[in-house]
Amino acid sequence: MSEFKLHHLVTELIEHLGSRASPEWCVENLQKDSAATSLSSYNHVTQSCIRQLARKSPDPQSFIAKYEELKAKDTDCLRPFVQLLSVISEDRKLKEYLQKNAKKATTELQNPQVSQGSIGSISGAVADSKVIENVTTKDLPRIRIRLQKEAEIALGKRTLPSSKRENQGKARHPNYHSPVMPNWNNVRPNMNLDFITDHSGPALFSAPLGPIPVCSQESMLLEDILSCLEGAEGDYIVPDPLQGPYETRMFSISESVDPSLREFTEKILPLASHYSMVMRFIQEKSQFEYGQVNHALTAAMTALMKDYMVFVAQLETAHRKGSFTLHKLWFFIQPTLHTMEILANIASTISKSGAKGGKVLSLLHERTSSYTGDPTGQELCLYLTQKACVPYMEILEKWVYKGVICDPYQEFLVEDNEVIQKEELPLDYSADYWEKRYTIRRERIPVFLERVADVILRTGKYLNVIRQCGKNVKSPQAEEIVYTIKKRQYVEAIEKAYHFASITLLQLLMQENDLMGRLRSVKHYFLLDQGDFIVQFMDSCEAELSKNIDDIVPTRLESLLELALRTSAANGDPYKDDMRTELLPYDLMFQMFKILSIETDEEKEYRLPSDKLQLLGLESFSFGYEVKWPVSLVLNRRAIACYQMIFRHLFYCKHVERLLCRVWICNKVAKSFALRAAKTYASAFALRQRMLNCVQNLEYYMMVEVIEPNWVTFFSSINKVNNVDDVLVCHSDFLDNCLKDCMLTNPTLLRTVNKLMAVCVQFCHFIQHMRRYYLDAELTSMLGPAYESYEGSNVYAEETPPPSPEHQSTMACDSDSFEQSIAKFNLQFTAVLVGLLDKISELGRENNGEKLLNVLYRLDFNTFYTEQLERLCTDRPMVENGKEGTSG
Amino acid sequence: MCGDRYFTSVYAVLRFNLYFCRKIKFTCKMPCEMITLQLGQCGNQIGFEFWKRLCAEHGISPEGILEEYATEGTDRKDVFFYQADDEHYIPRAVLLDLEPRVIHTIMNSPYAKLYNPENIYLSKHGGGAGNNWASGYSQGERLQEEIFDIIDREADGSDSLEGFVLCHSIAGGTGSGMGSYLLEKLTDRFPKKVIETYSVFPNQDEISDVVVQPYNSLLTLKRLTQSADCVVVLDNTALNRIATDRLHIQNPSFTQINTLVSTIMSVSTTTLRYPSYMNNDLIGLIAPLIPTPRLHFLMTGYTPLTTDQEAASVRKTTVLDVMRRLLQPKNMMVSTAHDRNAAHCYISILNIIQGEVDPTQVHKSLQRIRERKLAQFIPWGPASIQVALSRKSPYIQSAHRVSGLMLANHTNISSLFDRALQQYDKLRKREAFLEQFRKESMFKDNLEELDHSREVVQELVDEYQAATRPDYLSWGTDQASIDS
Repeated sequence: MSEFKLHHLVTELIEHLGSRASPEWCVENLQKDSAATSLSSYNHVTQSCIRQLARKSPDPQSFIAKYEELKAKDTDCLRPFVQLLSVISEDRKLKEYLQKNAKKATTELQNPQVSQGSIGSISGAVADSKVIENVTTKDLPRIRIRLQKEAEIALGKRTLPSSKRENQGKARHPNYHSPVMPNWNNVRPNMNLDFITDHSGPALFSAPLGPIPVCSQESMLLEDILSCLEGAEGDYIVPDPLQGPYETRMFSISESVDPSLREFTEKILPLASHYSMVMRFIQEKSQFEYGQVNHALTAAMTALMKDYMVFVAQLETAHRKGSFTLHKLWFFIQPTLHTMEILANIASTISKSGAKGGKVLSLLHERTSSYTGDPTGQELCLYLTQKACVPYMEILEKWVYKGVICDPYQEFLVEDNEVIQKEELPLDYSADYWEKRYTIRRERIPVFLERVADVILRTGKYLNVIRQCGKNVKSPQAEEIVYTIKKRQYVEAIEKAYHFASITLLQLLMQENDLMGRLRSVKHYFLLDQGDFIVQFMDSCEAELSKNIDDIVPTRLESLLELALRTSAANGDPYKDDMRTELLPYDLMFQMFKILSIETDEEKEYRLPSDKLQLLGLESFSFGYEVKWPVSLVLNRRAIACYQMIFRHLFYCKHVERLLCRVWICNKVAKSFALRAAKTYASAFALRQRMLNCVQNLEYYMMVEVIEPNWVTFFSSINKVNNVDDVLVCHSDFLDNCLKDCMLTNPTLLRTVNKLMAVCVQFCHFIQHMRRYYLDAELTSMLGPAYESYEGSNVYAEETPPPSPEHQSTMACDSDSFEQSIAKFNLQFTAVLVGLLDKISELGRENNGEKLLNVLYRLDFNTFYTEQLERLCTDRPMVENGKEGTSG
Repeated sequence: MCGDRYFTSVYAVLRFNLYFCRKIKFTCKMPCEMITLQLGQCGNQIGFEFWKRLCAEHGISPEGILEEYATEGTDRKDVFFYQADDEHYIPRAVLLDLEPRVIHTIMNSPYAKLYNPENIYLSKHGGGAGNNWASGYSQGERLQEEIFDIIDREADGSDSLEGFVLCHSIAGGTGSGMGSYLLEKLTDRFPKKVIETYSVFPNQDEISDVVVQPYNSLLTLKRLTQSADCVVVLDNTALNRIATDRLHIQNPSFTQINTLVSTIMSVSTTTLRYPSYMNNDLIGLIAPLIPTPRLHFLMTGYTPLTTDQEAASVRKTTVLDVMRRLLQPKNMMVSTAHDRNAAHCYISILNIIQGEVDPTQVHKSLQRIRERKLAQFIPWGPASIQVALSRKSPYIQSAHRVSGLMLANHTNISSLFDRALQQYDKLRKREAFLEQFRKESMFKDNLEELDHSREVVQELVDEYQAATRPDYLSWGTDQASIDS
């Protein structure tokens, strides 16, 4: 089950239960558990569960009988259900809770005894009212109602043919309507090849046999038996009405028959019962709605039945010639009886379980392998299985060799959920497409294909992608897939096809569409690998991007981007034309949590678009990238969004770095000042240096220690993959690691880093603003008026620090002296930075392998901040103690 | 019909826009351009080697034509070259000298056609500056209009000029004197541009034939302190020692020394020319190295220092090896006297590492250096070793898999200035050789300029000393208040 689906189900369940637990937590637990339980111990556990349940139930016999019955029907998910029951029966608290709810529920329920059916969801179990009563528990009310609905459907399926047909019609693909067969069996009972039992009550015999001598009786009885073997009732042997549609037919023998003959006849009659069973099966399953596998199986059975008829005819001839006795008959039918028993057995099992498609094949396969000691039996079963497999294997071949599903009766293990039309593809090629377009229907997998089911799914999926690229797919070695008792042959064929499909698609992606080239190009732009391009782009765009998002002219940005692309080293990149600019109307944090869809309480606040409606261009800017099918398989929406987030983060850091560098340039005049004057700025310089050091180290960390190594590992692993799914996994791993290690997934860290950047930006604006008053004064006094006249005002005009809102506010309330303001900035910056370092070291204590610790070492390389950090650490317990003291 | 016409007109507008865009494309040039100024004998010689090396790295022939094999377009030639036409690359270089010897050598070399002839300026009287700073300075003043014609033309020709690179020596006449004058003027005219110098300091081990060398050095040092933004110190003492001790050349020639210098110059600009994640502009490169404006004298170190004849060691060189070697004094290109004041420390370090490097190794190496305290850092602010991993030129085959350059701001560089001060004081006490200076207008009336320069350099030495102490940030104000 995919994670999405699991998540969805859990959320639904929790909603139904009215619980307040977080779905993420549940899902996590579930996944952990499912990883822990191994399949090998599965069987054993079930057995012990059954035993325990039986011991606890008030009526062990009936419970076990019910279990055996369900098992015989091969109901889906019986094992997990039994396990669930045993868990319920062992957990007292849960039991009490369920009982409490059950009392409520019984009053609500109108039809409490009906609860036979299946729950498709979380436990996926089949519930049986008796079983539930046995363990004295009832399910939760909601589930129960649902279950009841399912049960009704299930019951309907079993009893009423008409409603069954309706249901199936509904369940089927909307575009498909199977032709309706007239119900001949009911309308024209005499067309039936089975016995006709229109009478009810005790059997009516045409004549008593008593007065006739025993030897003559034998002859007449033989006549009767032979007709019974062909499905016609005799004079002295009359079929009983059926107990259920799939029950064994019994016969009544006239009382007047001699007891010894009667005994003999009774021994022979099971053959007639088998005949009846098989004929009923053939007649029913040949109808359209039972699917091709059943059709093929009935056809094979019919062929066998023809032989049987010939055999009966031969017997009859022998009888006509005279000197035929019951003993002889008994002797002759021995091998046929065996065959027919097997056929009838198969027929009844399939009928009872209502199997179709893959499940029929599973049953046949199991039967075949269970007859290992009986060569004739096995041969028969193998024959049937092979015949029944033919249509299924044809579907499989089409899928595996051509990527086409041709499955009118919904039998094949892969289902095409044509939710996404092909025309929509270029627009909405989300990750969903890959996950959801084709799915495996677990219940339809034949047992012998269970192991290769995923391979089968992927083979066709790949072929489909190739076809959608406009290529003609032709599998070179399209050999026929035939069922054999040994798996090797068909598994080999499937694997060959898979190999071909995956190699073809991989080549298509990697070579013809140059996926790695694309990714490298994306890396150049989104991960700032191509430094000169980004420098150039920022040079030209910074003025535009410093405006409010509403005032920016997007076309201008586009043309500036174009310019930067053409004139930097990016010009050599063949994919540069796919770059776009985007102005996203939300900030990075919002995007982050939207994408990750973390919805715990802590992050709730980020879900609302931030209050700061006036986003600056710099905060909202991001590149876009146009991707075409099939590269969009890998570079899907989610991946692009991840790239965008990393980009926005890096871009803003780069911007701050550039602002600080600009301050550096402004400040460089200070070296010609007199020592005393220059020293006024020492603290400002030192602070600028600390900021620059911090920002650059963060950038270094993210680029050189996170992105680049991750890229290298990604690159080496992508060279080893041999199918597209692995490519997807590698790529998303790469992105996830980058996001995580760039501190983007941790809301508190991200917030702190953002605060850090904000302090730096404020500082830069402050210095840029102040230098007019301070540095100007120094300069004019130093160099005299000549300097001013030379430079004029154009130097300052070059400078365009935008008056951002916070900037203005600091300016407005600023009545402090220069030194005081710097000291204030210093305090602010140190506090935030030390806070960040502290949080990182805390994370490091929790998990020693944390890559983030590198930031700590980088920023604090010469242990400059260590003292402050330690002070913070020693303060913390005191503060906590103080809190406890006041609260207690 | 009507509809058709409408569409064709829309199409025409689109076409026009496209045309317009393309036009912009051609008129616009790359940012972060640098203009190189080569001054005097020494400056022109190291500049010549530098351009030779750049041409080789970018696959440009001595005639300035792109070689056929140089098709890989991921490098940025435009930082130092501009394109005259599709295949002609011309260095953004200005060659200045007061005497013709070196420039004539260049013009007779295969690289003669590389330079723009308009950018080569030779003083008309060709007498040189006579190893006299004052003469070079006053000639610079006299020739400024012609020189700045060239510089302004170059500056106008580049779209977003990032800065100037000045190559000169501080001991001679032209490089030091005219260089000083140019430095002052450049800061005035281009206050927003970064001025980086590669300054060659004289060899202390041999007795110089230039007797006024201490005066020249001191006067130039003042300008380097006050007008340059970043000075990469190339100490001839250390370079000669490296040549003899490490490269086993008994009497190293200028060319051999200059090859070393050109290596340093080209590697220190490699992040600009082969862009990667970071350090793609000059400011981004030097701003973190220079926290306070005056302390802008950078040392360099390089590894591996071996001759080409020597076989490359079989052992694989790791990042840690490179970084550790770079911290060893014997690989430094500056000969710093061992000071009694042992508290000397690094203000900042940038390591540029080239070659096949596993990026995951960088952090481990840094941590190892941190743990073992292989480098001492300033106590008054955060400082660290920045590492820039850079690509290598694909056209130059080197035996070394990994090589590294260190650009470091170390307080011990003050010992170099201290030495210059001592030598100056020795001469000044005797009032020796001053008459040459008195000939020039600057020193006609008094020798105040010399005294002032001494003061500035002394202050610089003091500031470097102060930078080793935790109270550096409040040092200046105290000092100033004591002074006043």
